[in-house]
Amino acid sequence: MMNWEKLGQIFEFNKSSLVSTFVSHTQSPQAIIYEDFVRIYFSTRKTDANFFYISHIQYVDMDLEMKTILQTSQHEVISMGNLGCFDEHGIFPLSPVRVNDKIYAYTSGWSRRNAVSVETGIGLVISDNEGYTFKRFGNGPVLTSSLKEPFLIVDGFVRQYNNRFYMYYIFGKKWTEETETKVPERVYKIGMASSDDGVNWKKYEGRQIIEDLIGDEECQALPTIIYRNGVYHMYFCYRFATDFRTNPNRGYRLGYAYSANLIEWVRDDKSKGIEFGKTGEWDSDMMCYPHLMEINNKVYMLYNGNNFGKDGFGLAVLKET
Amino acid sequence: MFKWEKLGRIFNPLDYQGKYWMSEFAQAPSTLLFDDFVRVYFSCRSQRDKDGQFVSYSAFVDLDRKNLFNIINVSNEPILKLGKKGCFDEFGTYPISVIKENNEYIAFYAGWTRCVSVPFNTAIGMARSCDNGVTFQKLGDGPVLSYSPDEPFLISGPKIRKFEDIYYLFYISGKEWLSINGKSEMVLKIRLATSQDGLNWNKINSNLITESFDLNESQASPDVFYSNGIYHMFFDYWIPTNFRKTKLRKIGYAYSFDLVNWTRDDNKAGIDISNDNAFDNEMIAYPHIFELDGKTYMLYLGNEVGKYGFGIAVLEGELK
Repeated sequence: MMNWEKLGQIFEFNKSSLVSTFVSHTQSPQAIIYEDFVRIYFSTRKTDANFFYISHIQYVDMDLEMKTILQTSQHEVISMGNLGCFDEHGIFPLSPVRVNDKIYAYTSGWSRRNAVSVETGIGLVISDNEGYTFKRFGNGPVLTSSLKEPFLIVDGFVRQYNNRFYMYYIFGKKWTEETETKVPERVYKIGMASSDDGVNWKKYEGRQIIEDLIGDEECQALPTIIYRNGVYHMYFCYRFATDFRTNPNRGYRLGYAYSANLIEWVRDDKSKGIEFGKTGEWDSDMMCYPHLMEINNKVYMLYNGNNFGKDGFGLAVLKET
Repeated sequence: MFKWEKLGRIFNPLDYQGKYWMSEFAQAPSTLLFDDFVRVYFSCRSQRDKDGQFVSYSAFVDLDRKNLFNIINVSNEPILKLGKKGCFDEFGTYPISVIKENNEYIAFYAGWTRCVSVPFNTAIGMARSCDNGVTFQKLGDGPVLSYSPDEPFLISGPKIRKFEDIYYLFYISGKEWLSINGKSEMVLKIRLATSQDGLNWNKINSNLITESFDLNESQASPDVFYSNGIYHMFFDYWIPTNFRKTKLRKIGYAYSFDLVNWTRDDNKAGIDISNDNAFDNEMIAYPHIFELDGKTYMLYLGNEVGKYGFGIAVLEGELK
């Protein structure tokens, strides 16, 4: 049984310097730990000329105690994708990981479609200035759709274990039928791939690694993993496929699974040790986009609360059991 | 220079009314030889919907082996279904390339989806036939060859070949979308992937054919034919920055001894647009070479990239 102590919403969009450039959201916080600070990347939004949202990557630096905000980025961290590219309509989320003396970051690129709202792919960007800016490794994705994973490859989370790269990500299973009153909604599951170099990936093609808890239209998103006491622990979020935006009974909540070998996972939500906040709190109706990190032997979880992280993100710390 | 004698148009889709899936166009012809006939796969367009949009289907026409101008059969239905909601091939399967393997027929096709900022995107899917190439079933809902860091979009135009037990998939990939007079125009380059099993592909990740003079040159239809110890490639090319005005698309030629390194030599191609008022007096495009009973033929598209069907030419002598 995991046991988390919530530390509250630690970053609020409206109280940040982001308000001068962006309209809302700090989604899917994901961190790189430096010697004397923590850099937390997230996706924040602008609107384009047609009033569509575009997600941009920014970051905030905090002290190692996770108590003080040191600075918030005000420059372009990753440039926009080119016309027609998989990431031309934004990046959300970003998964950074240190690789030798560089920082690799796996982008989830969004591009709009005609019959359905969106298609996605996972790209690679690389920083050689300690995460201040990133350059694309090519204009196309490193992971995209394939025979048994036909669309919506997104939410890549990458770590190196035993000298091999592992990526946990989500792939689309289906778009629900369109009716006169309902647009198609997506159903997606967590899958995995591995790699020697972080560039060329071998999928476990079409393999859903986390079993469903709420039926086959369960949507699973944003896996994050930490290795602790000989076990790989995964948190993710999941929801129903429809009526999930405003109905808290069907929206995102956190799930948990564990594994001894990175491949076979046991789902065990009863042990997740973290629940919705009380009515009126920032995470009372929704919890999503978790990210696990370890700082000075303490395990933290960054996550978003109500409204998919529109207002900010929060923090919890693991109480050892 | 090769010497091609044009024999005329061999198939015009406008001659065949009453098929919901074939209103006009017969694009990207490719052949499969049977005992008594030559099956020519091609792709055509449905009638436009109320928004002016169409979908592309693939089908075939069977030509009498003894007299290729004698059409003995046209497929009753498209050979491949369109993809499911949100899939890469929801709005079209064009073009298609079929190879016979023992008693099985394997097809590679480009699937079309519609986008918002640019009109469409494509990736390559795979299907199998168990009824002698009349209908094909997809191996999955997704593509077998899709986007990658150096090939960001528009993976299309597959031509499947097998040489010495290795599969070679010649195809095109998008380099850039240009915005020309408010229209999106593609810059396409000829590429290659190889495979042992037809399912898992290794991309070569380089352009096979150098541009003739304009780096924005688009290339398509990399049709490779082995003859006299040389790999011969016929393809077509156009300049996307002025194509809407010139309507010009021409056939180029390159040769190779190893399938990877190619020498372009358009002067050798030996086939050009017609001067008279024929169906190919503005452009010729999408060449396909096949050998039949000792003769070498080329199928190709005429004006408006095959809107009025395809023609055939015969080579004097051999490709060497």
